[in-house]
Amino acid sequence: MVKHENFKTCAQSGFCKRNRAYGDTALSSSNWAAPYSLDPASVKFEKGILTGTVSKTIANTGEAVRLPLTVAFYESGTARVTIDEERRQKGEIELRHNSKAKKQRYNEAEKWAIVGGTTVSTGAATSKAAEKGTTKIVYGPASKFEAVIRHTPFGVEFKRDGETQVKLNDRGLLNMEHWRPKVDKPAPEKKEGEEEKKEGEEAVVVESDKEIAEDDGTWWDESFGGNTDSKPRGPEAVALDIEFPGYEHVYGAAEHAGPLSLKETRGGDGKYSEPYRLYNSDVFEYEMDSPMTLYGAIPFMQAQKKDSTVGVFWLNAAETWIDITKTTTSANPLSFGIGSSVTTQTHWISEAGLLDVFVFLGPKPQDVIGAYTELTGYTQLPQQFAIAYHQCRWNYVTDEDVRDVDRKFDKHRIPYDVIWLDIEYTEGKKYFTWDPMTFPDPLGMNKQLDEHERKLVAIIDPHIKNKGNYPIVEELKSKDLAVHNKDDNIYEGWCWPGSSYWIDCFSPKGREWWKGLFRYDKFRGTMKNVFIWNDMNEPSVFNGPETTMPKDNLHHDHWEHRDVHNINGMTLVNATFDALLARDKVEDKHHVRPFVLTRSFYSGSQRLGAMWTGDNQAAWPHLEASIPMLLSMGVSGFPFAGADVGGFFGNPSKELLTRWYQAGAFYPFFRGHAHIDTRRREPYLAGEPYTQIITQALRLRYALLPAWYTAFHEASVSGAPIIRPNYYVHPGDEKGFGIDDQFYLGSYGLLAKPVTKEGQEGQDIYLADKEKYYDYFDFWTYEGPGTVNVAAPLDTIPFLMQGGHIIPRRDRPRRSSGLMRYDPFTLVVVLGNSGDAEGTLYLDDGESFDFQEGGYIHRRFSYASSTSTLMSEDLAAAAGKKTKEYLKQMEKVRVEKVIIVGAPAAWKGKGEVEVSEEQSGKISAARKVSLDWHDKEDGKAAWAVVRDPGVQIGSGWKIAFA
Amino acid sequence: MKVAKFYKDAASFTCISNPSLSFPVSRLNDDYCDCPDGSDEPGTSACAHLSPLSPHTPADGAGAAGSNTTLALPGFYCKNKGHIPTYVPFTSVNDGICDYEVCCDGSEEWEGVGGVKCEDRCQSIGKEWRKQDEARQKSLGNAGKKRKELVAEAGRLRKQVEDRIQSLGTEMEGSEIKVKQLEQEVAEVERKEKGKVVRGNVPKKAGKLGVLVGLAKQRTEELRETLERVRGERDSSTSRLQELEGILSTFKEEYNPNFNDEGVKRAVRAWEDYAARDKGPEPEAAHDRDLDAITGSDKDNGLDWEEYEGDDESESETDKVYAFESYLPPSLRGWVDQKLRDLRVTLVDSGILADTTAGSSSGGESKAVTDAKNRLTAAEKEVEKHRKSLNEHQDDLAKDFGPDDVFRALKDQCVSTDAGEYTYEVCFLSKTTQKPKKGGGHTNMGNFVRLERIVVDDELPPNGKGLGSGERIAMKHENGQHCWNGPNRSTMVVLACSESNEVWKIVEEEKCVYRMEVGTPAVCEVLGASAAGVEGKKAGGVRDEL
Repeated sequence: MVKHENFKTCAQSGFCKRNRAYGDTALSSSNWAAPYSLDPASVKFEKGILTGTVSKTIANTGEAVRLPLTVAFYESGTARVTIDEERRQKGEIELRHNSKAKKQRYNEAEKWAIVGGTTVSTGAATSKAAEKGTTKIVYGPASKFEAVIRHTPFGVEFKRDGETQVKLNDRGLLNMEHWRPKVDKPAPEKKEGEEEKKEGEEAVVVESDKEIAEDDGTWWDESFGGNTDSKPRGPEAVALDIEFPGYEHVYGAAEHAGPLSLKETRGGDGKYSEPYRLYNSDVFEYEMDSPMTLYGAIPFMQAQKKDSTVGVFWLNAAETWIDITKTTTSANPLSFGIGSSVTTQTHWISEAGLLDVFVFLGPKPQDVIGAYTELTGYTQLPQQFAIAYHQCRWNYVTDEDVRDVDRKFDKHRIPYDVIWLDIEYTEGKKYFTWDPMTFPDPLGMNKQLDEHERKLVAIIDPHIKNKGNYPIVEELKSKDLAVHNKDDNIYEGWCWPGSSYWIDCFSPKGREWWKGLFRYDKFRGTMKNVFIWNDMNEPSVFNGPETTMPKDNLHHDHWEHRDVHNINGMTLVNATFDALLARDKVEDKHHVRPFVLTRSFYSGSQRLGAMWTGDNQAAWPHLEASIPMLLSMGVSGFPFAGADVGGFFGNPSKELLTRWYQAGAFYPFFRGHAHIDTRRREPYLAGEPYTQIITQALRLRYALLPAWYTAFHEASVSGAPIIRPNYYVHPGDEKGFGIDDQFYLGSYGLLAKPVTKEGQEGQDIYLADKEKYYDYFDFWTYEGPGTVNVAAPLDTIPFLMQGGHIIPRRDRPRRSSGLMRYDPFTLVVVLGNSGDAEGTLYLDDGESFDFQEGGYIHRRFSYASSTSTLMSEDLAAAAGKKTKEYLKQMEKVRVEKVIIVGAPAAWKGKGEVEVSEEQSGKISAARKVSLDWHDKEDGKAAWAVVRDPGVQIGSGWKIAFA
Repeated sequence: MKVAKFYKDAASFTCISNPSLSFPVSRLNDDYCDCPDGSDEPGTSACAHLSPLSPHTPADGAGAAGSNTTLALPGFYCKNKGHIPTYVPFTSVNDGICDYEVCCDGSEEWEGVGGVKCEDRCQSIGKEWRKQDEARQKSLGNAGKKRKELVAEAGRLRKQVEDRIQSLGTEMEGSEIKVKQLEQEVAEVERKEKGKVVRGNVPKKAGKLGVLVGLAKQRTEELRETLERVRGERDSSTSRLQELEGILSTFKEEYNPNFNDEGVKRAVRAWEDYAARDKGPEPEAAHDRDLDAITGSDKDNGLDWEEYEGDDESESETDKVYAFESYLPPSLRGWVDQKLRDLRVTLVDSGILADTTAGSSSGGESKAVTDAKNRLTAAEKEVEKHRKSLNEHQDDLAKDFGPDDVFRALKDQCVSTDAGEYTYEVCFLSKTTQKPKKGGGHTNMGNFVRLERIVVDDELPPNGKGLGSGERIAMKHENGQHCWNGPNRSTMVVLACSESNEVWKIVEEEKCVYRMEVGTPAVCEVLGASAAGVEGKKAGGVRDEL
């Protein structure tokens, strides 16, 4: 059970409580006037950027607080609204407690999160047609977008094709808590010296005077769980309401354990009463269906209505809460629901930092996700092993244990690529060391793994053991590279090693130092097939408030931890990623792509590796929850995501373990993991029939690796999710907007709905479109739209192929994915209602950066019913330095089989097809190969097999069926 | 080669398990799977997916649904000239990796994918193997001899037990007879005592001092008993306290502060306070020696009560007066005696005279009766002791000491090995122990429960020191020391044939569940074959199958 008392509710988090109250006051008052207005005289528009000054009027004093505004319009069609606070910006504030903290609002989040997409639009222009009191900018593709900026009260409406899609501050909840000096209340007259004590008391006093408009009880310090936050800059929250008119569904705001389509958060039947919280935390035994925070934060949200998707990205690294409410509006009050629509309102509240929000106007899901990932970066194209199966456990206890598990997988003919070491491999939790007793020969172990192209992933956490005779901690201290406490001395906390310090990866020097630690001569016992797992990087601090660092800790450049908390995890992974690039010597040309797994993440972490959903449990609800969680990661630009297969805590039943592998075979990141107190559960231990069924699931994953790798490639160039929810694939199908227990794999029309309930033997699958779907395993034919029931006994994964696609496979089972490199391909052509089909294949060496110099194969396969021809066309960009070499290497790799599912009846009796190949620019003479046609029977589709067409996977060819 | 005949036809090939399907020979080994049983591709990996371990669709093989899709061949045949031929799994054929462990001639990588070249290493590998095999066979031979010795020793031990059972039986019979005699004696003595005409309430005719001695003895006895009881209670409390302190200090060491559990934190703080407090004087060994002395028998302490009480009874004044019979001539004496006794019995029976021998008041039993009864009790105890011993021996005889009773010869013998920071010890049919090398307490990893048979499936290392595959005898150990946040420790000790008793491997399979692999001559050539033997046969058997 999660310990709720260890984590704050909104009411226990001062700024959240204040802003919720502020919102409630605003919404309940009939004459609410938002105190923010844009001075029209200050507005300038130049080269795609609008600037101006918003002023906030203080009710009691009439004083005006100057808030500089920037609205930028990017070439991609993305608009960005940024509001700062002039006084803090200029540093004209006083800090309490002699704090050395930086005075500005945190303005470096973009330094970490944003890597592109900020080319300013040349086409954006002010429109003369603006109504009085507004400024209107026309921008975006074909100038279809508009931003209408209302001066008083300040607000922005974003329109597409003249229709409002997103409204900022429409409800007047914008709130920037300006800097103010602390004024002691006159009543209890106390001297300066006594103030400290009094503050401590204040923090626990519940606000009693409800008449006060602003609750200042949490302005100056706050206590929680025995820890007091000194808040040297006083209150500095930012908040804004963002409305999506006519949009019933919103997605994103990962990471939470709940449904893909976010729930309302202001109470009511089946709704949450707490806002969604983003404050990266090590939540022990987290609970299902909850807006509680988890390990990572992606403050990106999409809204979906029929045929339209829009989104916002709230770039802020501080603790953030999001309230969501939905209202039904009727076009005509007398029409009783007809023409009515649901509007989603959101209220974003962050503790500190700039107000910095990006608006995406779609109109397709991929447009929004693409624009967001253009800004924050695309998924790293991982090495192939990283998308194969990973075997982990806390802990494989000796190097011999690792070797033994490695041998057992081979013995049982179960494929796997990576074995993992959790914290116990170290000597007394000192990272970069090996326990000499239990891991006397790490290199021998790694070499054994390398024999079958397998890898080792070792854990390295950010807490560094505070113990003598440990050179790493000595260097960390002497070079002053650790995070500081509020007094600007080294911060000491408690984690796995006991007393520890934390590397500050915000510091360039810290990152540089970290980079050096992974060199093979520094981290002895590692070699090229060793990769890294960064855990506990929220950071997890056992004795800290909410199991993390105090907010008044200081990072590089004296930013408070409060300012950067949610980015902290990403900085570590960033440093580790760079370290893995730097560990090979310069003269060693064969650089391989890094692989880093992280638990904590932020927008942009997708560039650096994979994430997993942390410490789940061996229980059916956790298996079930993993699917919406991973779908949510997929549509949040971070698709390389997985959940611990089998469940981390506790012992799964064999049925649960088997079902979990069947689901895990569809996790983009596929790793079995288990807690130290659990029984061993490597697939070969399950016994029959379980081991056999699990092996089938693993081999299915391996057979489909060409499709997975192509989907990863697509994600790496467009940000597209790898497993895709119904709304993403069918944005016009409103009925499917809430579906989050089934998904499509890549662009292949492969629709899976793994069983996630005990004893379940059948599965209802929702088919959104009027199309044929075939059972992957027996070619049973279903016809959409509607819900179909698929039999799902324990040995069966409900898995369908949508008509119209071509799926590349490699059917030969091997010990690891590396050993499949030269295996031939099978193409599955799935013919649907149109009779046409297409699919792509991306292929490279699966490990190096050669693909960046053209060392890859990218083909488009298409079958046209009009000509009865299957073709392979090149999709590769112009050839690069490595193109020729790679094609030469792959020249013997052929297509060994073409399977046509839903084969035309006209092929009956046909025994041959004609194959012609493109060789050095010429088309070869056609040769005949045999075709084997099978009629449909029962409910199963007709199918045909082209026997060994023998065409090269990397070159052009044609197979004529008529 | 048994299957070779299927490949002889020069024109066409018929699938081995699916005779209805035949193909031109050009489809043999053409890297495309035609037969549903894979028999057309004995030399490639094209049919490797024909396995219940792979997901299947109707289009897997050329065969129609329902045809036999079990692989007809066990794998790719490696001739391994100069070594032993083997089958390599089809999944390993032409994958770019030289699998010298199984295919020393490198022939499974004939296609040279990715430029791989696997040279023929059978000469050196075969030579090395033969060398090791020879050593192994020699070792096995020795092991076999040793086992015979063990069996002989076990036989001797068994014989000892059987002999002992026999002698115990005899001894017991003797004891039982003795018990019967003593029972008669007791009855006789009691009868005699009943016949005594005059009896005081104080059984031992003594003066005031005598009474005092009696009371003192009684009181001392009481005190000693009480002291012993209290001391026992103290000892058990002390050991419980120690156990508790041990639990708490481990708890403090090992608890996870991550969980931030207030209850746990409070408990840890309270424990730290408690541990820091002055615990009072340590129990002194001297005190205990004193106690030992005090609770020793009075005789040991130089106090022999019997010197002050006891056998002067016959000399007591009253008895002398009543022993007038001795003044009578024997014939008359017999008659008088009989009459007197009869009279007394009559009086007792009619309730006129109190029965002093019936034990209605314990204090009223005569020394003679007590002595007789004590003798009887002692004799009965003796019988009981013999019976127990006999049962033990009989149980021992019935106990499972494995095939040929061989483990009888090994019982309580210990072997150990170093692994990591511990030394692990297994004592046959007794227990397993973990001993920290740095010193400190030993940890019981489980007490022997029974012999079991389990199936193992391991590669046998070249030196033969491993389990191999097949059924093996294992010693199950349970209920060792409890694990913090886990179960009681337990160990499965799996045995395989070896020249000497030795621990090969120790693994903590999961938290506090251990598995040891132990070599011992005791299990050689049982269960059909030794580990090495099985492996050797398998390798050698390949030739016959083909």
